[in-house]
Amino acid sequence: MSALPVAQDAIDAAAGDEAEAVVLTERSGLARFAGREVHQPTLIDNVVVTLRVVRDGKVGIAATNRVEPDGLRELARRAGQAADSSVATPGFPGLAPPADPPDVQGWDEETAALGPDEQAHRAAAAIAATTTGVYGFFTSGETELAIASTAGVRTSQSMTDATTIVVAADRGCSGYAEASSWRARSLDPAAVAREAAEKASRTNGAAAADPARYRAVLEPYAIGTLLEYFGFDSFGAQALLEERSYFSGRIGQRAFDEKVTIVDDALDPRGLPKAFDFEGMPKQRVPLVEDGVIRGVVWDRATAARASNGAHSTGHAPPASLLAHGPFPAALQMTGGDAESIEELAELVGDGIYVTRLHYLSVVDPREGVITGMTRDGTFRIRGGKVAEPLVNLRFTVSVPELLADVPGLTRDLTLVNGSDFYGERYPFGALVPALATASFNVTGSGSRPGL
Amino acid sequence: MRALCETAVEAALAAGASYADARAVVRRNQQVMTKNRRVETVTDVESEGIGVRVLVDGAWGFACDRRLTEQGAREAAARACAFARAAPSADGRALAPIAPAQAHYVTARERDPIEVPLEEKVGLCIAAEEALQLPQVNVTQASVRAQKEQKVLVTSDGSVVEHEQVECGGGIDAMAAGDGGFQIRSYPTAHNGLSAQAGWEFVEGLDLVGHAPRVTEQAVALLTADPCPSEVTDVVIDAEQMALQVHESVGHPTELDRIYGTEASYAGTSFIQPGDLGSLRYGSEHMNITSDATTERGLGTFSYDDEGVAAVREPIVREGVLAGFLTSRETAAKIGAGAGGSMRADTWNRMPLVRMTNLHLEPGEGTKDELIAGVKKGVYLETNKSWSIDDKRLNFQFGTQIAWEIRDGKLGRMLRDATYTGITPVFWGSLDGVAGPEEWVLHGVTNCGKGQPGQGAHVSHGTSPARFRGVQVGIKS
Repeated sequence: MSALPVAQDAIDAAAGDEAEAVVLTERSGLARFAGREVHQPTLIDNVVVTLRVVRDGKVGIAATNRVEPDGLRELARRAGQAADSSVATPGFPGLAPPADPPDVQGWDEETAALGPDEQAHRAAAAIAATTTGVYGFFTSGETELAIASTAGVRTSQSMTDATTIVVAADRGCSGYAEASSWRARSLDPAAVAREAAEKASRTNGAAAADPARYRAVLEPYAIGTLLEYFGFDSFGAQALLEERSYFSGRIGQRAFDEKVTIVDDALDPRGLPKAFDFEGMPKQRVPLVEDGVIRGVVWDRATAARASNGAHSTGHAPPASLLAHGPFPAALQMTGGDAESIEELAELVGDGIYVTRLHYLSVVDPREGVITGMTRDGTFRIRGGKVAEPLVNLRFTVSVPELLADVPGLTRDLTLVNGSDFYGERYPFGALVPALATASFNVTGSGSRPGL
Repeated sequence: MRALCETAVEAALAAGASYADARAVVRRNQQVMTKNRRVETVTDVESEGIGVRVLVDGAWGFACDRRLTEQGAREAAARACAFARAAPSADGRALAPIAPAQAHYVTARERDPIEVPLEEKVGLCIAAEEALQLPQVNVTQASVRAQKEQKVLVTSDGSVVEHEQVECGGGIDAMAAGDGGFQIRSYPTAHNGLSAQAGWEFVEGLDLVGHAPRVTEQAVALLTADPCPSEVTDVVIDAEQMALQVHESVGHPTELDRIYGTEASYAGTSFIQPGDLGSLRYGSEHMNITSDATTERGLGTFSYDDEGVAAVREPIVREGVLAGFLTSRETAAKIGAGAGGSMRADTWNRMPLVRMTNLHLEPGEGTKDELIAGVKKGVYLETNKSWSIDDKRLNFQFGTQIAWEIRDGKLGRMLRDATYTGITPVFWGSLDGVAGPEEWVLHGVTNCGKGQPGQGAHVSHGTSPARFRGVQVGIKS
């Protein structure tokens, strides 16, 4: 089903109103495996239409997946009723004007054509690649985002995505690897499984570590997750305006090591490219941190209007379900450094901790960027510049600004780390990041051993 | 919807499935949020479709279709069977036997929350926010939600179960920023307020407006409060934070699918082994945990679960010893005990998983004040702020919005940025008192995540305040 005609039909159903329709289609398959079998295979085919109606400055939103004429008529009625029930929003900037979105890559015919057989076979390839039990999934999908409005917006983008993640695990040992791309052929599920299994083979006999501030190497999987959580509060305009962001009052200040540069760049073909946001505004590359100096945050039109400080949309309006959160980056990218390998980073660290990935993060103090969580599936001691004996899963409670204040090095190569847990409607995103060495990783406790 | 589900099951059996179930769901959800006295969102969302789960040659398959039509039902069944055939399968897969069920369940309510006019919902939020205003507060917000779901389940072994369930809830928050950092206070609970499976009279009974002045005054007071010290001390934990403690450190680790490893790639596994049933010392003799899918107003209350197993009330921990698991028909058959009863799917386009229903800490005796009176030096902790626990559910750290020092059995100065941490069985082993039934409150959790693709679940926990001895508070470094 093509999304843009559905968006146009929704606008037509709301005749007489100022209206904007956002249509997101999904056709996907996810073959989830555990041990030696696929145990949760899920095929999804859906279309969701979200209609925003404005009446006398009052805004109401309704959504449906009934896209036939009677469903869209009912959608328009409910959106109008929601608008009538609201009160006018001071400073509401109105619906977005038409804009030319940039040309981006991000759709691949072969990936779009993958069906349940191919998805299951790729899962089977991961299972067959190692004698260690593997736990994870292969998924691929095609999505289309289309927007039409009475203000003249008519735009759509088709996207594909594919991800394999693997935890290779047995009693007392586990390792992790993943790969994501908008081209499924660039993923090798068997290679991902072998990487995870190799890591797992080195985690038997893990020991505890004393709570202390360690030098550490964080693999891209860990850095991607950490930036994502830090970004929830610190990289968005609404959090900045509400003084919840670490960036509040610090824009223009040097806060991080000069090797740290972070941007949000949905246009980069190495990521999962997006041309426009959920109100049709073109995506822009937004510098967040340059050479350690805080430069800014991402904006949508609502927060820019509220700020009244010359800010403008950077193309980061969220979907309706996340409107209360405000704009946030979904294509984070950290610039790489000079290190040719993670082993080089271990040499820079000397003695410390090696972290593969993180688990169950939670923001303890958004304004100071304090986050807690656990390490998982591959934590090691670093001794004399070499990755050494395995450690149990460690609790960390870190100030991200402290962690990024002294960065001995970063790898040159970047890895696309999947950021989506595929809740709700599919809208794949991820972070393109290097491995990183830090002088400060605050371990506050020891937890479970790796593995099952 | 029943006829469509029957069509889907017949189509799956004709395509070679040895077992099939079909769920048709129509859900409508309304959310209203105001922030800083502006309407942030007024949304009215509906979603419908049919999901078909099949077993073909010992392999599971699941597919769904948004169309509630005969064609949609048949195509979903065919695709589910095709996916199952393509997927590697285990040798043999047994399901615990059950008697076919015929049931029709409707949530008891006085006012259907979806039928309450949106204007009334907006008005309630604005009134609550007006009562939150103080000059030192930089963000106030109020929200209410309402949901109605009609669901039909048909299984190939003869069950037909119909549900019409409504949920609703609401809450308020005040946030303040200053030299004391960023502080938040919430009522009745953090994270979008308190929800129940009930009519709108539940939201009216929350009295959001009446509680607003205390909430906002405490948010401001936290800015100048002393930080919680880092030390090992006695703690009394309020009923709301105890709900999350039960959820994370008892609910998830007793899910039998996690114990067998099928959640290892995402939410994790468990420190418990199948053979621990009846012998694992989980906590002190004061610890009694019950799973109860029949609890009045519980978000996890139903007549039959999403594979047709009757709702039950059963012990999970009795006097500190592991007494039960949360199970599906498949995992119950593996362990050879019970018949399941905890299989729940987020909605029509997700497979059912082993989920909590309503999981309660049984009340003890006495009051919260009596628990506090039994502490010479300690901390009283209230309202969740942050939460994290390891993949086996052993090492946890929780933060609370507010705390008070306890000195000689009485509350003293207010403390900000409080956290506490522990290892699950050690922590529960230090439990030495749970307040009585008069302080027992049902809390709704609406953001429980699990599965790939991700699924949210709504569950409830009844808890009373509880006292633990010798707990690490503050962040050890």
